[in-house]
Amino acid sequence: MNVISKVIESLADILDFDPNNIGPETYLIRDLEAESIDLLELAVVLNTEFKIEVDDDEIFLKTLRIYLDKPKECPKDMGEYMMEKYPYLTRERIKEILEDLPHGPVIKVKDLVSYINWKN
Amino acid sequence: MAIELAGLLIEAGLRPILSFRSPEGREKIMAALPFSIDLYQTCGLDFSRRDTLSTVFDDLPQGPDYLVDFAQGDYETLVSSADTRKTDCFLEENIAFRAAFLKKTTRLMIKKKFGRLVFVSSGAAGRPNQGQGFYAASKLAAEALYKNIALELGSFGISSVSLRPGYVACGRGKSFIENNQDRLIRQIPNRHWLSSRDVAETIVFLLSDGARGFNATELVMDGGIGSGKHFFA
Repeated sequence: MNVISKVIESLADILDFDPNNIGPETYLIRDLEAESIDLLELAVVLNTEFKIEVDDDEIFLKTLRIYLDKPKECPKDMGEYMMEKYPYLTRERIKEILEDLPHGPVIKVKDLVSYINWKN
Repeated sequence: MAIELAGLLIEAGLRPILSFRSPEGREKIMAALPFSIDLYQTCGLDFSRRDTLSTVFDDLPQGPDYLVDFAQGDYETLVSSADTRKTDCFLEENIAFRAAFLKKTTRLMIKKKFGRLVFVSSGAAGRPNQGQGFYAASKLAAEALYKNIALELGSFGISSVSLRPGYVACGRGKSFIENNQDRLIRQIPNRHWLSSRDVAETIVFLLSDGARGFNATELVMDGGIGSGKHFFA
């Protein structure tokens, strides 16, 4: 089973969702209504499944808004800055995230996959 | 207390794992426990050494089902006299390291969907003597960690309780009791200071299913000394 399939299976199991309704573009919080306790369980499951040390703040973008609220630390290019903070995300994905921020929590299933691939 | 508890757990057919900070500590455990080494296990865990955090569960990758936390550093001084560096180390070891250890332990418990934790706090957490400011601070901080674990992870079958023993005739408490026997006994309504066996037996109960209702709370076990203003009989 590949990474995305395992991630979807884990999410479906934890959140009691039909795996057929989960894909790479699914939002964890907006669509699946994952709560912090669900994310904690997911981190533990991903740690076991993929044998990686999961940093909860990093993988779930928990500190994203904190970084954005510190304009003095930010260089002119916000994309560059965010790529330093989240090296597993592509420039395109960072751009997408920054544009999507006003609409709510931005993390998607594909971000988890990127993190796991980066860790491996 | 930990040795006394280990003995009771072994007698009950369980296989406790006792942590030690140094090879001498391990030898002390082995000398004090009148049981075959096959009946219990030891592991190195030193709150002043972060590397022991990654090795502590090497022999136990599934983690424990039950945890009894006796760990406590010793730093008695007046708050206004405290050495800043010693204070930093003390708080790092007794609070930050404990938080990291509990993170690791509870993540293993989450996988198993079970865990029962007992933190051995102290009556001094709520009623410290002079010089016990940092001791009380670390106990209160640890109690808060244990309480929140119970509040946050209850849906994973994980629960916790903190026990606050009063005067116990062992370790640091022994000489204090010996030097203040007459005064102390008059202050304790039931005229009984605790033995390490008293505390160990209570912990065995708190680990049992019969005590599951005690969760996310602190239990005072001091013979009533903290319930009145001043008791002199």
